[in-house]
Amino acid sequence: MKPPSRNPDHRPRLKPLGQPRAVDVRTDEHGEPVHVRLPGRTARRVAVVRERWRIDDEWWRQSISREYRIVVLDDGKVITLYEDLSEGTWFVQRA
Amino acid sequence: MSGNRSSAQRGIPTHPGRGWAQDGANTDDWLTSAAPDTGWATGPGSGTAFLHARPRATAGSRRALCLWLPTFELRLELVRTPELDSTSVALLSPGESTRRTIWQVSERAHEAGVRPGQLVSQAISLCTSLTLLEPDPAHYDAAVDTMLEVLTELTPVVEPAGRGRVFLGTDGLDRLFGAPTRQVERALSALFRVFPAPLVASTRAGMAPGKFGAWVAAASARCGAPVIVPEERLEAFFARCPVGALPVDPLVVQRLERLGIRTLGELRRLPEPSLVAQFGEDGRNALAWATARRIDPVRPWHRPRPIRTSLTFGMPVGTVETLHGALDRLAERALSRPSRRGRSVTGVRLGAHLEGGGSWFVETALREPTSDRERIAAPLRAKMAIAPPPRAVETLLLELTSFGAPSAQTGLFDRKSEGGRATAGTALKNGEVPSSLRDAIKELKLRLGHSPLFRVVEVDPWSRIPERRHALLNFDP
Repeated sequence: MKPPSRNPDHRPRLKPLGQPRAVDVRTDEHGEPVHVRLPGRTARRVAVVRERWRIDDEWWRQSISREYRIVVLDDGKVITLYEDLSEGTWFVQRA
Repeated sequence: MSGNRSSAQRGIPTHPGRGWAQDGANTDDWLTSAAPDTGWATGPGSGTAFLHARPRATAGSRRALCLWLPTFELRLELVRTPELDSTSVALLSPGESTRRTIWQVSERAHEAGVRPGQLVSQAISLCTSLTLLEPDPAHYDAAVDTMLEVLTELTPVVEPAGRGRVFLGTDGLDRLFGAPTRQVERALSALFRVFPAPLVASTRAGMAPGKFGAWVAAASARCGAPVIVPEERLEAFFARCPVGALPVDPLVVQRLERLGIRTLGELRRLPEPSLVAQFGEDGRNALAWATARRIDPVRPWHRPRPIRTSLTFGMPVGTVETLHGALDRLAERALSRPSRRGRSVTGVRLGAHLEGGGSWFVETALREPTSDRERIAAPLRAKMAIAPPPRAVETLLLELTSFGAPSAQTGLFDRKSEGGRATAGTALKNGEVPSSLRDAIKELKLRLGHSPLFRVVEVDPWSRIPERRHALLNFDP
Protein backbone atom coordinates (compact mmCIF):
# COMPACT_ATOMS: atom_id res chain seq x y z
CA MET A 1 0.00 0.00 0.00
CA LYS A 2 1.32 3.40 -0.91
CA PRO A 3 1.92 5.54 2.18
CA PRO A 4 0.23 8.94 2.27
CA SER A 5 2.48 11.75 1.19
CA ARG A 6 3.70 13.92 4.03
CA ASN A 7 3.68 16.80 1.67
CA PRO A 8 0.33 16.73 -0.09
CA ASP A 9 1.25 19.80 -2.10
CA HIS A 10 4.42 18.15 -3.32
CA ARG A 11 4.47 19.86 -6.70
CA PRO A 12 7.72 20.29 -8.59
CA ARG A 13 8.99 23.69 -7.66
CA LEU A 14 12.36 25.29 -8.00
CA LYS A 15 13.91 26.29 -4.69
CA PRO A 16 16.29 29.18 -5.29
CA LEU A 17 19.82 28.77 -3.99
CA GLY A 18 21.79 31.62 -2.46
CA GLN A 19 18.84 33.37 -0.88
CA PRO A 20 19.92 36.49 1.06
CA ARG A 21 19.80 36.50 4.87
CA ALA A 22 19.24 39.61 6.97
CA VAL A 23 22.22 40.82 9.04
CA ASP A 24 22.82 43.57 11.58
CA VAL A 25 25.22 46.12 10.18
CA ARG A 26 26.49 49.27 11.88
CA THR A 27 27.59 51.95 9.45
CA ASP A 28 29.72 55.08 9.70
CA GLU A 29 28.70 58.61 8.75
CA HIS A 30 29.30 57.79 5.04
CA GLY A 31 27.04 54.74 5.13
CA GLU A 32 29.96 52.30 4.95
CA PRO A 33 29.70 49.10 7.04
CA VAL A 34 31.82 49.18 10.21
CA HIS A 35 30.52 46.24 12.24
CA VAL A 36 28.66 43.18 11.03
CA ARG A 37 26.83 40.62 13.15
CA LEU A 38 26.01 37.48 11.18
CA PRO A 39 23.00 35.43 12.36
CA GLY A 40 23.94 33.53 15.54
CA ARG A 41 27.44 35.02 15.74
CA THR A 42 29.12 37.82 17.64
CA ALA A 43 29.63 41.17 15.96
CA ARG A 44 32.82 41.59 13.93
CA ARG A 45 34.62 44.67 12.74
CA VAL A 46 34.97 45.23 9.02
CA ALA A 47 38.69 45.26 8.25
CA VAL A 48 38.49 46.26 4.61
CA VAL A 49 35.97 46.67 1.82
CA ARG A 50 37.48 44.76 -1.05
CA GLU A 51 34.99 45.44 -3.85
CA ARG A 52 31.66 47.13 -4.44
CA TRP A 53 29.06 47.25 -7.21
CA ARG A 54 25.47 48.26 -7.66
CA ILE A 55 22.48 46.52 -9.24
CA ASP A 56 19.36 48.31 -10.46
CA ASP A 57 17.01 45.94 -12.22
CA GLU A 58 13.45 44.90 -12.90
CA TRP A 59 12.06 48.41 -12.76
CA TRP A 60 9.05 47.09 -14.68
CA ARG A 61 8.16 44.60 -11.96
CA GLN A 62 9.17 45.11 -8.34
CA SER A 63 12.25 47.24 -8.66
CA ILE A 64 15.50 45.78 -7.33
CA SER A 65 18.12 48.25 -6.15
CA ARG A 66 21.10 46.86 -4.25
CA GLU A 67 24.60 48.00 -3.41
CA TYR A 68 26.92 45.03 -2.96
CA ARG A 69 30.20 44.97 -1.02
CA ILE A 70 32.71 42.19 -0.58
CA VAL A 71 34.15 42.79 2.88
CA VAL A 72 36.88 41.17 4.92
CA LEU A 73 36.08 40.87 8.63
CA ASP A 74 38.69 41.24 11.36
CA ASP A 75 38.84 37.43 11.77
CA GLY A 76 39.79 37.04 8.10
CA LYS A 77 36.37 35.86 6.92
CA VAL A 78 35.29 37.17 3.52
CA ILE A 79 31.58 37.79 3.05
CA THR A 80 29.35 39.48 0.50
CA LEU A 81 26.96 42.07 1.90
CA TYR A 82 24.41 44.17 0.17
CA GLU A 83 22.26 47.08 1.19
CA ASP A 84 18.72 47.09 -0.14
CA LEU A 85 18.56 50.72 -1.21
CA SER A 86 14.78 50.79 -1.39
CA GLU A 87 14.36 49.69 2.25
CA GLY A 88 17.74 50.51 3.79
CA THR A 89 18.22 46.99 5.15
CA TRP A 90 21.37 44.83 4.99
CA PHE A 91 21.76 41.25 3.85
CA VAL A 92 24.51 38.70 3.53
CA GLN A 93 24.53 36.55 0.44
CA ARG A 94 26.67 33.93 -1.20
CA ALA A 95 27.37 35.65 -4.50
CA MET B 1 -22.87 37.74 -19.48
CA SER B 2 -24.32 41.14 -19.33
CA GLY B 3 -23.10 41.82 -22.86
CA ASN B 4 -25.57 39.41 -24.33
CA ARG B 5 -28.39 40.84 -22.29
CA SER B 6 -27.51 44.30 -23.45
CA SER B 7 -27.33 43.06 -27.05
CA ALA B 8 -30.80 41.65 -26.78
CA GLN B 9 -32.05 44.82 -25.18
CA ARG B 10 -30.65 46.90 -28.02
CA GLY B 11 -32.33 44.57 -30.47
CA ILE B 12 -29.08 43.70 -32.19
CA PRO B 13 -29.39 40.54 -34.26
CA THR B 14 -27.72 37.56 -32.72
CA HIS B 15 -27.32 35.48 -35.85
CA PRO B 16 -23.85 34.12 -36.30
CA GLY B 17 -21.62 36.55 -38.04
CA ARG B 18 -23.68 39.61 -37.29
CA GLY B 19 -23.52 40.39 -33.62
CA TRP B 20 -20.28 38.47 -33.21
CA ALA B 21 -17.78 37.81 -35.88
CA GLN B 22 -15.31 35.01 -36.02
CA ASP B 23 -12.09 34.46 -37.85
CA GLY B 24 -12.80 33.70 -41.47
CA ALA B 25 -16.37 34.84 -41.10
CA ASN B 26 -18.55 36.19 -43.84
CA THR B 27 -20.50 38.60 -41.73
CA ASP B 28 -23.12 39.37 -44.33
CA ASP B 29 -24.66 36.00 -44.61
CA TRP B 30 -26.17 33.58 -42.18
CA LEU B 31 -24.35 30.40 -41.42
CA THR B 32 -21.28 31.04 -43.56
CA SER B 33 -19.67 32.76 -40.63
CA ALA B 34 -18.77 29.53 -38.95
CA ALA B 35 -18.64 26.93 -41.62
CA PRO B 36 -16.32 24.12 -40.69
CA ASP B 37 -12.99 24.43 -42.40
CA THR B 38 -12.04 21.02 -43.58
CA GLY B 39 -14.05 18.54 -41.62
CA TRP B 40 -15.68 17.76 -38.39
CA ALA B 41 -12.45 17.84 -36.52
CA THR B 42 -12.04 21.54 -37.14
CA GLY B 43 -14.44 24.37 -36.93
CA PRO B 44 -15.00 27.77 -35.45
CA GLY B 45 -12.10 28.69 -33.31
CA SER B 46 -10.67 25.34 -34.17
CA GLY B 47 -9.74 24.18 -30.73
CA THR B 48 -9.46 20.56 -31.63
CA ALA B 49 -5.72 20.85 -31.67
CA PHE B 50 -6.03 20.78 -27.91
CA LEU B 51 -8.53 17.97 -27.67
CA HIS B 52 -6.33 15.08 -28.66
CA ALA B 53 -9.25 12.84 -29.30
CA ARG B 54 -9.82 10.00 -31.71
CA PRO B 55 -13.25 8.64 -32.56
CA ARG B 56 -13.91 5.08 -31.57
CA ALA B 57 -15.01 2.75 -34.28
CA THR B 58 -18.60 2.38 -33.14
CA ALA B 59 -21.87 2.84 -34.99
CA GLY B 60 -22.59 6.05 -33.09
CA SER B 61 -25.86 7.92 -32.94
CA ARG B 62 -27.71 8.84 -36.11
CA ARG B 63 -29.70 11.65 -34.56
CA ALA B 64 -27.51 14.56 -33.52
CA LEU B 65 -27.84 17.61 -31.36
CA CYS B 66 -25.35 20.40 -32.06
CA LEU B 67 -24.65 22.98 -29.38
CA TRP B 68 -22.69 25.95 -30.67
CA LEU B 69 -21.34 28.89 -28.72
CA PRO B 70 -19.95 31.30 -31.33
CA THR B 71 -16.82 33.23 -30.31
CA PHE B 72 -16.61 30.98 -27.29
CA GLU B 73 -13.13 32.16 -26.32
CA LEU B 74 -14.00 35.86 -26.41
CA ARG B 75 -17.17 35.26 -24.44
CA LEU B 76 -15.16 33.41 -21.80
CA GLU B 77 -12.84 36.41 -21.57
CA LEU B 78 -15.78 38.75 -21.14
CA VAL B 79 -17.24 36.56 -18.42
CA ARG B 80 -13.89 36.74 -16.66
CA THR B 81 -13.63 40.52 -17.08
CA PRO B 82 -17.22 41.81 -17.12
CA GLU B 83 -16.16 45.47 -17.15
CA LEU B 84 -14.99 44.98 -20.75
CA ASP B 85 -18.40 43.80 -21.81
CA SER B 86 -19.66 47.15 -23.01
CA THR B 87 -16.40 48.17 -24.67
CA SER B 88 -14.71 47.39 -27.96
CA VAL B 89 -12.71 44.22 -27.37
CA ALA B 90 -10.72 41.98 -29.66
CA LEU B 91 -8.94 38.73 -28.96
CA LEU B 92 -5.52 38.33 -30.56
CA SER B 93 -4.82 35.26 -32.61
CA PRO B 94 -2.75 32.69 -30.74
CA GLY B 95 0.65 31.39 -31.73
CA GLU B 96 2.06 34.31 -33.67
CA SER B 97 5.00 36.37 -32.56
CA THR B 98 5.16 38.99 -35.29
CA ARG B 99 2.39 40.66 -37.23
CA ARG B 100 -0.29 39.72 -34.74
CA THR B 101 -3.75 39.53 -36.19
CA ILE B 102 -7.24 39.77 -34.75
CA TRP B 103 -8.95 36.49 -33.98
CA GLN B 104 -12.34 37.38 -32.52
CA VAL B 105 -14.06 40.71 -32.05
CA SER B 106 -16.85 41.97 -29.85
CA GLU B 107 -20.02 43.45 -31.18
CA ARG B 108 -18.88 47.03 -30.54
CA ALA B 109 -15.55 46.47 -32.21
CA HIS B 110 -17.35 44.90 -35.14
CA GLU B 111 -19.55 47.99 -35.44
CA ALA B 112 -16.37 50.09 -35.58
CA GLY B 113 -15.14 48.09 -38.56
CA VAL B 114 -12.74 45.72 -36.80
CA ARG B 115 -12.75 42.30 -38.44
CA PRO B 116 -11.09 38.99 -37.67
CA GLY B 117 -7.89 38.52 -39.63
CA GLN B 118 -6.98 42.20 -39.63
CA LEU B 119 -3.56 43.28 -38.45
CA VAL B 120 -3.47 44.85 -35.01
CA SER B 121 -2.32 48.17 -36.49
CA GLN B 122 -5.29 48.18 -38.88
CA ALA B 123 -7.71 47.34 -36.09
CA ILE B 124 -6.41 50.09 -33.81
CA SER B 125 -6.56 52.66 -36.58
CA LEU B 126 -10.22 51.74 -37.10
CA CYS B 127 -11.07 51.74 -33.40
CA THR B 128 -8.72 53.72 -31.16
CA SER B 129 -10.47 52.60 -27.97
CA LEU B 130 -10.02 48.93 -28.85
CA THR B 131 -8.96 46.68 -25.96
CA LEU B 132 -6.75 43.83 -27.11
CA LEU B 133 -6.70 40.62 -25.14
CA GLU B 134 -4.04 37.93 -25.24
CA PRO B 135 -5.56 34.47 -25.70
CA ASP B 136 -5.52 32.14 -22.71
CA PRO B 137 -5.76 28.64 -24.25
CA ALA B 138 -5.44 26.88 -20.89
CA HIS B 139 -8.53 28.66 -19.64
CA TYR B 140 -10.50 27.86 -22.79
CA ASP B 141 -9.50 24.21 -22.74
CA ALA B 142 -10.53 23.92 -19.11
CA ALA B 143 -13.94 25.31 -20.07
CA VAL B 144 -14.23 22.78 -22.91
CA ASP B 145 -13.33 19.98 -20.50
CA THR B 146 -16.04 21.15 -18.12
CA MET B 147 -18.55 21.32 -20.93
CA LEU B 148 -17.80 17.80 -22.15
CA GLU B 149 -17.87 16.43 -18.64
CA VAL B 150 -21.29 17.82 -17.85
CA LEU B 151 -22.77 16.80 -21.20
CA THR B 152 -21.48 13.26 -20.77
CA GLU B 153 -23.88 12.96 -17.84
CA LEU B 154 -26.68 13.39 -20.37
CA THR B 155 -25.46 10.97 -23.02
CA PRO B 156 -22.26 9.01 -23.41
CA VAL B 157 -22.19 9.87 -27.12
CA VAL B 158 -20.46 13.26 -27.01
CA GLU B 159 -18.19 14.42 -29.83
CA PRO B 160 -16.40 17.77 -29.60
CA ALA B 161 -15.76 19.67 -32.81
CA GLY B 162 -13.57 22.58 -31.84
CA ARG B 163 -13.95 24.79 -28.82
CA GLY B 164 -17.51 25.97 -28.33
CA ARG B 165 -19.09 23.36 -30.59
CA VAL B 166 -20.14 19.91 -29.55
CA PHE B 167 -22.34 17.17 -30.98
CA LEU B 168 -24.47 14.94 -28.79
CA GLY B 169 -25.89 11.65 -29.97
CA THR B 170 -29.54 11.64 -29.01
CA ASP B 171 -30.64 8.20 -30.20
CA GLY B 172 -32.67 6.62 -27.43
CA LEU B 173 -32.91 9.76 -25.32
CA ASP B 174 -36.66 10.15 -26.06
CA ARG B 175 -37.48 7.55 -23.45
CA LEU B 176 -35.32 9.24 -20.87
CA PHE B 177 -36.04 12.91 -21.42
CA GLY B 178 -39.04 13.09 -23.73
CA ALA B 179 -39.47 15.06 -26.96
CA PRO B 180 -36.48 16.65 -28.77
CA THR B 181 -37.27 20.10 -27.35
CA ARG B 182 -37.05 18.64 -23.84
CA GLN B 183 -33.73 17.05 -24.73
CA VAL B 184 -32.34 20.42 -25.85
CA GLU B 185 -33.62 21.98 -22.63
CA ARG B 186 -31.88 19.28 -20.60
CA ALA B 187 -28.61 19.88 -22.43
CA LEU B 188 -28.81 23.63 -21.89
CA SER B 189 -29.77 23.27 -18.25
CA ALA B 190 -26.72 21.03 -17.82
CA LEU B 191 -24.57 23.85 -19.22
CA PHE B 192 -26.30 26.38 -16.96
CA ARG B 193 -25.08 24.36 -14.00
CA VAL B 194 -21.42 24.94 -14.83
CA PHE B 195 -21.25 28.15 -16.86
CA PRO B 196 -22.52 31.66 -16.14
CA ALA B 197 -26.02 32.20 -17.51
CA PRO B 198 -25.05 34.88 -20.06
CA LEU B 199 -22.53 32.53 -21.65
CA VAL B 200 -25.02 29.68 -21.98
CA ALA B 201 -27.75 32.06 -23.16
CA SER B 202 -25.73 32.65 -26.31
CA THR B 203 -25.82 28.95 -27.20
CA ARG B 204 -27.41 27.98 -30.48
CA ALA B 205 -28.90 24.53 -30.64
CA GLY B 206 -29.92 22.45 -33.63
CA MET B 207 -31.11 18.87 -33.87
CA ALA B 208 -31.30 16.82 -37.05
CA PRO B 209 -30.24 13.47 -38.46
CA GLY B 210 -26.44 13.47 -38.83
CA LYS B 211 -23.84 15.97 -37.75
CA PHE B 212 -24.08 18.10 -40.88
CA GLY B 213 -27.82 18.57 -40.47
CA ALA B 214 -27.46 19.35 -36.77
CA TRP B 215 -24.70 21.85 -37.49
CA VAL B 216 -26.71 23.64 -40.18
CA ALA B 217 -29.70 23.68 -37.84
CA ALA B 218 -27.63 25.13 -34.97
CA ALA B 219 -26.05 27.78 -37.17
CA SER B 220 -29.44 28.90 -38.41
CA ALA B 221 -30.96 28.93 -34.92
CA ARG B 222 -31.34 31.96 -32.72
CA CYS B 223 -30.39 32.02 -29.05
CA GLY B 224 -33.11 30.37 -27.01
CA ALA B 225 -34.93 29.09 -30.11
CA PRO B 226 -33.49 25.71 -31.13
CA VAL B 227 -34.10 24.45 -34.65
CA ILE B 228 -35.24 20.84 -34.80
CA VAL B 229 -35.40 19.21 -38.22
CA PRO B 230 -37.16 15.86 -38.64
CA GLU B 231 -35.72 13.39 -41.16
CA GLU B 232 -38.48 13.84 -43.72
CA ARG B 233 -37.87 17.62 -43.87
CA LEU B 234 -34.09 17.46 -43.95
CA GLU B 235 -33.62 17.75 -47.72
CA ALA B 236 -36.04 20.67 -47.97
CA PHE B 237 -34.29 22.33 -45.02
CA PHE B 238 -30.96 22.22 -46.84
CA ALA B 239 -32.34 23.94 -49.97
CA ARG B 240 -31.57 27.50 -48.77
CA CYS B 241 -28.40 26.60 -46.91
CA PRO B 242 -25.30 28.34 -48.34
CA VAL B 243 -22.60 26.13 -49.82
CA GLY B 244 -20.20 27.69 -47.29
CA ALA B 245 -21.68 25.39 -44.66
CA LEU B 246 -20.29 22.30 -46.37
CA PRO B 247 -17.38 20.72 -44.48
CA VAL B 248 -15.21 20.58 -47.60
CA ASP B 249 -12.06 22.36 -48.74
CA PRO B 250 -12.70 26.15 -48.68
CA LEU B 251 -11.30 26.33 -52.22
CA VAL B 252 -14.14 24.08 -53.39
CA VAL B 253 -16.63 26.46 -51.79
CA GLN B 254 -14.94 29.45 -53.43
CA ARG B 255 -15.08 27.81 -56.84
CA LEU B 256 -18.73 26.86 -56.41
CA GLU B 257 -19.56 30.44 -55.52
CA ARG B 258 -17.64 31.74 -58.53
CA LEU B 259 -19.70 29.40 -60.68
CA GLY B 260 -22.83 31.01 -59.23
CA ILE B 261 -23.80 28.07 -57.04
CA ARG B 262 -24.60 29.63 -53.71
CA THR B 263 -27.01 27.27 -51.99
CA LEU B 264 -27.26 23.52 -51.50
CA GLY B 265 -30.54 23.63 -53.45
CA GLU B 266 -28.62 24.90 -56.49
CA LEU B 267 -25.87 22.35 -55.92
CA ARG B 268 -28.39 19.50 -55.94
CA ARG B 269 -29.36 20.30 -59.53
CA LEU B 270 -25.87 19.46 -60.79
CA PRO B 271 -25.13 15.92 -62.02
CA GLU B 272 -22.87 13.91 -59.78
CA PRO B 273 -20.33 12.95 -62.51
CA SER B 274 -19.76 16.66 -63.27
CA LEU B 275 -19.20 17.48 -59.61
CA VAL B 276 -16.80 14.57 -59.21
CA ALA B 277 -14.95 15.59 -62.39
CA GLN B 278 -14.54 19.14 -61.10
CA PHE B 279 -13.98 18.64 -57.37
CA GLY B 280 -13.14 14.98 -56.90
CA GLU B 281 -14.17 13.34 -53.65
CA ASP B 282 -15.21 16.68 -52.17
CA GLY B 283 -17.73 17.10 -54.97
CA ARG B 284 -19.25 13.68 -54.35
CA ASN B 285 -19.46 14.33 -50.60
CA ALA B 286 -20.94 17.79 -51.11
CA LEU B 287 -23.74 16.34 -53.20
CA ALA B 288 -24.37 13.55 -50.71
CA TRP B 289 -24.74 16.12 -47.89
CA ALA B 290 -26.86 18.45 -50.00
CA THR B 291 -29.30 15.67 -50.89
CA ALA B 292 -29.36 14.35 -47.30
CA ARG B 293 -28.08 11.00 -48.56
CA ARG B 294 -25.06 11.18 -46.31
CA ILE B 295 -25.82 11.10 -42.60
CA ASP B 296 -22.74 11.23 -40.36
CA PRO B 297 -23.45 9.66 -37.00
CA VAL B 298 -22.15 11.17 -33.78
CA ARG B 299 -19.46 8.97 -32.34
CA PRO B 300 -18.28 8.99 -28.76
CA TRP B 301 -14.79 10.36 -28.49
CA HIS B 302 -12.14 8.72 -26.45
CA ARG B 303 -9.67 11.05 -24.85
CA PRO B 304 -6.38 9.44 -24.02
CA ARG B 305 -5.11 10.65 -20.69
CA PRO B 306 -2.04 12.81 -21.27
CA ILE B 307 1.02 12.71 -19.03
CA ARG B 308 1.48 16.16 -17.55
CA THR B 309 4.46 17.64 -15.77
CA SER B 310 4.96 21.18 -14.63
CA LEU B 311 7.62 23.34 -13.08
CA THR B 312 6.91 26.51 -11.12
CA PHE B 313 9.68 29.09 -11.05
CA GLY B 314 10.46 31.09 -7.94
CA MET B 315 10.38 34.26 -10.04
CA PRO B 316 8.91 34.70 -13.52
CA VAL B 317 11.46 33.70 -16.13
CA GLY B 318 11.93 35.43 -19.45
CA THR B 319 15.22 34.03 -20.71
CA VAL B 320 14.97 31.42 -23.43
CA GLU B 321 17.96 29.42 -22.16
CA THR B 322 16.29 28.98 -18.79
CA LEU B 323 13.09 27.80 -20.41
CA HIS B 324 15.06 25.36 -22.56
CA GLY B 325 16.71 23.94 -19.45
CA ALA B 326 13.37 23.63 -17.72
CA LEU B 327 11.92 21.93 -20.81
CA ASP B 328 14.69 19.31 -20.65
CA ARG B 329 13.93 18.65 -16.99
CA LEU B 330 10.21 18.35 -17.72
CA ALA B 331 10.80 15.96 -20.61
CA GLU B 332 12.96 13.76 -18.36
CA ARG B 333 10.25 13.74 -15.71
CA ALA B 334 7.45 13.01 -18.13
CA LEU B 335 9.35 10.15 -19.75
CA SER B 336 10.12 8.60 -16.40
CA ARG B 337 6.48 8.46 -15.36
CA PRO B 338 5.31 4.87 -14.84
CA SER B 339 2.01 5.73 -16.51
CA ARG B 340 3.85 5.91 -19.84
CA ARG B 341 4.23 2.13 -19.56
CA GLY B 342 7.07 2.04 -22.06
CA ARG B 343 5.03 3.63 -24.83
CA SER B 344 6.75 5.92 -27.29
CA VAL B 345 5.56 9.48 -27.66
CA THR B 346 4.04 10.87 -30.86
CA GLY B 347 2.54 14.18 -29.74
CA VAL B 348 3.68 16.78 -27.21
CA ARG B 349 2.47 20.12 -26.03
CA LEU B 350 4.39 22.78 -24.15
CA GLY B 351 2.52 25.45 -22.24
CA ALA B 352 3.09 28.17 -19.71
CA HIS B 353 1.21 30.26 -17.21
CA LEU B 354 2.38 33.79 -17.81
CA GLU B 355 3.20 36.60 -15.44
CA GLY B 356 0.19 38.83 -15.01
CA GLY B 357 -2.28 36.16 -16.13
CA GLY B 358 -2.87 34.39 -19.39
CA SER B 359 -1.28 31.32 -20.85
CA TRP B 360 0.70 30.23 -23.87
CA PHE B 361 0.94 26.94 -25.73
CA VAL B 362 2.77 25.33 -28.59
CA GLU B 363 2.09 21.86 -29.83
CA THR B 364 3.78 19.48 -32.18
CA ALA B 365 3.36 16.04 -33.64
CA LEU B 366 6.66 14.22 -33.67
CA ARG B 367 7.94 12.93 -36.99
CA GLU B 368 8.43 9.49 -35.58
CA PRO B 369 7.53 7.89 -32.26
CA THR B 370 10.27 8.36 -29.72
CA SER B 371 11.08 8.14 -26.06
CA ASP B 372 14.24 10.19 -26.32
CA ARG B 373 14.32 13.43 -24.37
CA GLU B 374 16.20 15.37 -27.00
CA ARG B 375 13.91 14.28 -29.83
CA ILE B 376 10.94 15.46 -27.80
CA ALA B 377 12.49 18.75 -26.70
CA ALA B 378 14.08 19.79 -30.03
CA PRO B 379 10.87 20.41 -32.02
CA LEU B 380 9.37 22.23 -29.05
CA ARG B 381 12.42 24.48 -28.84
CA ALA B 382 12.04 25.22 -32.55
CA LYS B 383 8.37 26.08 -32.05
CA MET B 384 9.29 28.24 -29.08
CA ALA B 385 11.77 30.14 -31.24
CA ILE B 386 9.04 30.89 -33.79
CA ALA B 387 6.34 31.78 -31.27
CA PRO B 388 7.95 32.53 -27.90
CA PRO B 389 5.89 33.23 -24.77
CA PRO B 390 4.76 36.86 -24.94
CA ARG B 391 5.59 37.51 -21.26
CA ALA B 392 7.70 36.07 -18.48
CA VAL B 393 6.79 32.52 -17.50
CA GLU B 394 5.65 31.60 -13.99
CA THR B 395 4.99 27.91 -14.61
CA LEU B 396 6.10 25.76 -17.51
CA LEU B 397 3.98 22.73 -18.42
CA LEU B 398 4.72 19.77 -20.64
CA GLU B 399 2.12 17.28 -21.80
CA LEU B 400 2.76 14.04 -23.62
CA THR B 401 -0.49 14.00 -25.51
CA SER B 402 -0.40 10.99 -27.78
CA PHE B 403 1.46 7.76 -27.72
CA GLY B 404 2.68 5.14 -30.13
CA ALA B 405 3.83 1.59 -29.81
CA PRO B 406 6.20 0.73 -26.97
CA SER B 407 9.64 2.01 -27.81
CA ALA B 408 12.81 -0.03 -27.92
CA GLN B 409 12.30 -2.56 -25.19
CA THR B 410 14.97 -3.04 -22.59
CA GLY B 411 17.18 -5.76 -23.89
CA LEU B 412 17.43 -9.03 -22.07
CA PHE B 413 21.16 -8.54 -21.94
CA ASP B 414 21.10 -4.88 -20.92
CA ARG B 415 23.83 -4.72 -18.28
CA LYS B 416 22.46 -1.54 -16.80
CA SER B 417 19.42 -3.39 -15.54
CA GLU B 418 21.58 -5.77 -13.57
CA GLY B 419 22.08 -3.41 -10.66
CA GLY B 420 24.78 -1.18 -9.25
CA ARG B 421 27.44 -3.86 -9.07
CA ALA B 422 27.26 -4.57 -12.78
CA THR B 423 27.42 -0.91 -13.74
CA ALA B 424 30.19 -0.02 -11.31
CA GLY B 425 33.11 1.40 -13.15
CA THR B 426 31.21 1.86 -16.41
CA ALA B 427 30.74 5.38 -17.62
CA LEU B 428 27.24 6.82 -17.44
CA LYS B 429 25.91 9.06 -20.14
CA ASN B 430 25.08 12.63 -19.26
CA GLY B 431 21.81 12.73 -17.34
CA GLU B 432 21.72 8.97 -16.81
CA VAL B 433 20.91 7.77 -13.31
CA PRO B 434 22.65 4.67 -11.96
CA SER B 435 20.21 1.94 -11.09
CA SER B 436 21.59 1.74 -7.53
CA LEU B 437 20.62 5.37 -6.94
CA ARG B 438 17.29 4.79 -8.62
CA ASP B 439 16.59 1.88 -6.24
CA ALA B 440 17.63 3.95 -3.23
CA ILE B 441 15.26 6.72 -4.21
CA LYS B 442 12.48 4.20 -4.75
CA GLU B 443 12.99 2.97 -1.20
CA LEU B 444 13.00 6.49 0.21
CA LYS B 445 9.81 7.26 -1.66
CA LEU B 446 8.15 4.20 -0.15
CA ARG B 447 9.11 5.40 3.31
CA LEU B 448 8.47 9.10 2.96
CA GLY B 449 5.88 9.32 0.21
CA HIS B 450 8.11 11.50 -1.93
CA SER B 451 11.71 11.75 -3.02
CA PRO B 452 13.67 13.83 -0.47
CA LEU B 453 16.59 14.33 -2.86
CA PHE B 454 17.28 17.43 -4.88
CA ARG B 455 19.67 18.35 -7.60
CA VAL B 456 21.14 21.70 -8.46
CA VAL B 457 19.95 23.09 -11.76
CA GLU B 458 20.94 26.22 -13.61
CA VAL B 459 18.05 28.62 -13.76
CA ASP B 460 19.55 31.82 -15.07
CA PRO B 461 23.33 31.39 -14.68
CA TRP B 462 24.18 34.84 -16.03
CA SER B 463 21.68 36.74 -13.91
CA ARG B 464 23.01 39.77 -12.03
CA ILE B 465 20.84 38.74 -9.10
CA PRO B 466 22.66 35.87 -7.35
CA GLU B 467 19.59 34.03 -6.04
CA ARG B 468 18.27 33.68 -9.59
CA ARG B 469 21.26 31.76 -10.92
CA HIS B 470 20.79 28.27 -9.52
CA ALA B 471 18.02 26.36 -7.80
CA LEU B 472 17.20 23.02 -6.26
CA LEU B 473 14.82 20.73 -8.07
CA ASN B 474 13.24 17.56 -6.69
CA PHE B 475 15.20 14.59 -7.91
CA ASP B 476 12.78 11.85 -8.80
CA PRO B 477 14.09 9.87 -11.79
